Amino acid sequence: MDPQIIGQMLVSGALMGLLYALIAYGFQLTYATSRSLNFGQGELVMVSAFVALTFTNLGLPYGLMLPAALAFGALAGLGVERAAVRLALRQKSEGWIMLTIIVGLFLASAAENIWGRDDRPFPTPIPSDPVHLFGIDITPLELSVALGALGVMGLIELCKRRTLLGKAVAAVAADPDAAELVGISATRAVMLSYALSGMVAALAGVLVSPITTVGPTMGAVLVLKAFSVAVVAGLDSGFGVVLVGMFLGALESIASFYLGSGWREAPGLVLLILALAVRPHGVFGRAAIRKV
Amino acid sequence: MRRFLLLRSAELLAVLLLAAVPLAVRNPYALGLLTLLAIYGVLLIGLDVSVGYLGQINLGQVAFLGIGAYTAGLLVAKLGWGLLPSAMAASGAALAVGALLALPALRLEGPQFALATLSFSALTGTALNELEALTGGAQGLSLTRPPLLGHVLESRGFYWLCLGALALVWVTMRNLLNSHWGRAFEALRDSPLATDAMGVGTYRHKVAAFAMGSGLGGFAGALYAFNFQYLQPQIFNYELMAMLLLGVVLGGRKSQWGALLGACVVVLLPNLLSSRRLFLTLSALGLAAALAAGIRGLRRGTGAFQSAAPIAATGLLAVGGLLVKHTEDWRKAIFALMLFAVMVGLPEGLMGFCSRFLAGLFRVPPAALPRPAALDAALPARPPAQGALLVVSDLMRTFGGVKAVDGISFQVEHGSIHGLIGPNGSGKSTLVNVVSGLYPASSGRILLAGARVRPGLVPMARAGVARTFQNLQLFGELSALDNVMVALRDVFRLPLPLVVTGLGRGEERRAQADALALLAFVGLEDQARVPARDLPYGAQRFLELARALARRPALLLLDEPAAGLAHPDVLRLIGIIRAVRQRGITTLLIEHHMDVVGELCDRVTVMDGGRMLAEGAPEAVKRNPLVLEAYLGAPEVVS
Repeated sequence: MDPQIIGQMLVSGALMGLLYALIAYGFQLTYATSRSLNFGQGELVMVSAFVALTFTNLGLPYGLMLPAALAFGALAGLGVERAAVRLALRQKSEGWIMLTIIVGLFLASAAENIWGRDDRPFPTPIPSDPVHLFGIDITPLELSVALGALGVMGLIELCKRRTLLGKAVAAVAADPDAAELVGISATRAVMLSYALSGMVAALAGVLVSPITTVGPTMGAVLVLKAFSVAVVAGLDSGFGVVLVGMFLGALESIASFYLGSGWREAPGLVLLILALAVRPHGVFGRAAIRKV
Repeated sequence: MRRFLLLRSAELLAVLLLAAVPLAVRNPYALGLLTLLAIYGVLLIGLDVSVGYLGQINLGQVAFLGIGAYTAGLLVAKLGWGLLPSAMAASGAALAVGALLALPALRLEGPQFALATLSFSALTGTALNELEALTGGAQGLSLTRPPLLGHVLESRGFYWLCLGALALVWVTMRNLLNSHWGRAFEALRDSPLATDAMGVGTYRHKVAAFAMGSGLGGFAGALYAFNFQYLQPQIFNYELMAMLLLGVVLGGRKSQWGALLGACVVVLLPNLLSSRRLFLTLSALGLAAALAAGIRGLRRGTGAFQSAAPIAATGLLAVGGLLVKHTEDWRKAIFALMLFAVMVGLPEGLMGFCSRFLAGLFRVPPAALPRPAALDAALPARPPAQGALLVVSDLMRTFGGVKAVDGISFQVEHGSIHGLIGPNGSGKSTLVNVVSGLYPASSGRILLAGARVRPGLVPMARAGVARTFQNLQLFGELSALDNVMVALRDVFRLPLPLVVTGLGRGEERRAQADALALLAFVGLEDQARVPARDLPYGAQRFLELARALARRPALLLLDEPAAGLAHPDVLRLIGIIRAVRQRGITTLLIEHHMDVVGELCDRVTVMDGGRMLAEGAPEAVKRNPLVLEAYLGAPEVVS
């Protein structure tokens, strides 16, 4: 077995893995403030990608299309929060699981009917000719995914730590009731986290589409892997997702090489079930003590 | 009795009606739908075990349908097995895989559980697709329906077989879910902690429930394979899973009628969509219902969102039905909108709503309760004994660097009431949590009646320790009576196979009588039917006490039982604890109210900073300068 091919697979797998990490990061954002996450996040990625494609077809340049798509993602995230999450949180029930699945189902159906069932190419100004680095080919597209993902995650983390708003959100994450007592609106913090999460999903959609094409089923595959990454890393561990995402990406490109591309998703799924069995709070997460 | 007869005759009538349909209607298409209805009925009753009773969103049922279908299909097509053995093997395979998945997955709650089952579904889909040598992959698997005991089944005969299967599953599961098993399932949904502390064993029941639901999924899968005689992996996809959940939630959780109703919706919905007029009529009806309910809800002060969202969803359904070209193309969106409206506006499902409506209409009284048992039967007096019941020596429990309990030693004498007091944060609750088995000790020894007990809530509970919780841990949705019945010890002896055949009824009556006696003991006999979460605060405290007594404990741990009680209730509590002592039960009482401690306790241990500060008779302890200092601070020296 040629080590260069293995190296090639590991690197491109790990770069794609950063995309899973990005979507998983979106789960962490909402989980931190509200202990909930959007089970329809994959559909949000997909619809945002379609919207971005529509903007591009309308003639918007990349530099305008991207912020517009991000804004759409943020709005969609807010919509999910309002329609599917807020009521359940207020009732302290887990109804949000079903409700976010329902919203996802609706979005999937709408996308199928509005944009069609076919996969479509996504034009991008970023070149796709590979660059050689130490005998390994890396395309600028793959690099854009990695940089975009890391950049946005870094930016949000920085804001969380450095700004007053970020600290307010962190306060809600630590204890919503106590945060309310000092005048921070927990509802607003949850809304903000869902908006950010939607924005992150939209970014993931725009970044991945030139590589995978845009289609109504693109989100379902991505989101399963993002779930794996989020759970394996731990739903409350900031940068663990980056490591786990890269690991999972590399693992699955190896798996699809040896077992056939049909098994591509299998390692992530097995990893998720195992991780939940062995360390339900994730590799990088903290275990909670049962208080009575 | 009247209620019992009404329910049974309704069930019988439904089966007879369903069985008679093919005699009158000769339409093969309708027959196909009815067959599918029976199959989905089985599937949804299985799904309801985890969604309704365990209260977990289970996204794995579609995988068990697939596993059952392929197991049966392969056994028939490749090995030429008969109908009954292959159906049984299919259920067995799904049951085994379900149990295997449950072992890790059921330590999880809520979203993590949903994710684990979702991954399992996706993994099953991948395996069915990729194991081409076995399953034929995307090409699909063809089989011919095997004969039943030598009889070749045409479609009508097969329908009756499926209906028979549904009836069998219906009766079996009803017996099971109405027994202490079903009660345990619901208890662990409401408070896993208390379920363990009552010695019921959360984990065992969860695995059993999930495996049973999965087994039913596998059984339905076998019927599915025999019905269509052709299988493809992509049938068992996410969309079908969403539809199944729709069925359970729409029909109503924790109700077999609800599951059947849900199966009707799942089967009929695709057909409703093919006729635009029918679809528009139904969505208009839905909109009218949502409007009526919404306006009424607004008047009664239900949240604006809960009233408006179903109207918006059904409105979108009606308007969309007018606008779009082919309603079938929007199938998923239509499911989504319907499900959304029901989830938000009618959380108990159609059946929950209907049964309340029907019960009001016919004025059916709830089933009568037996007379309470004698207290000696429900809570037998323990023979008096000498010496120490509980010996704690050098017990330590640390959290990180914090020594919550720092090497404490004390004894609790048989038949005594032993007080444990100390300022906030002195480690009392941690001590109780270690003694009751919730936290393992970091070091040190606990002896109960001279023997070491394996650490853990369940072993401790089985060894004779029962406790209450400072922050109440009742089974909120269960009635007060059921709360006590969950904890009853030495009453339910019948093995599972006899319970499902319905022989548990006698046991159930005896358990009710015992539980009523215990409720009367704490003064709650009039509130037996009230759901625990609807009881007033004081009554909830007494209910926890009755539930702990149902364990017939040797040692009763009361963690601040008087906290938040009004004065008359405190007096009542003192009376009850005295009466408990007269039954020979030893009590360890953690309390802040000094008057309660002084009135009741034989000996008092005072804790501070995780250590023992003083011990002795209540009066002596109260005057101990060390104790005064710990509670009130050091006396200031006036110069």
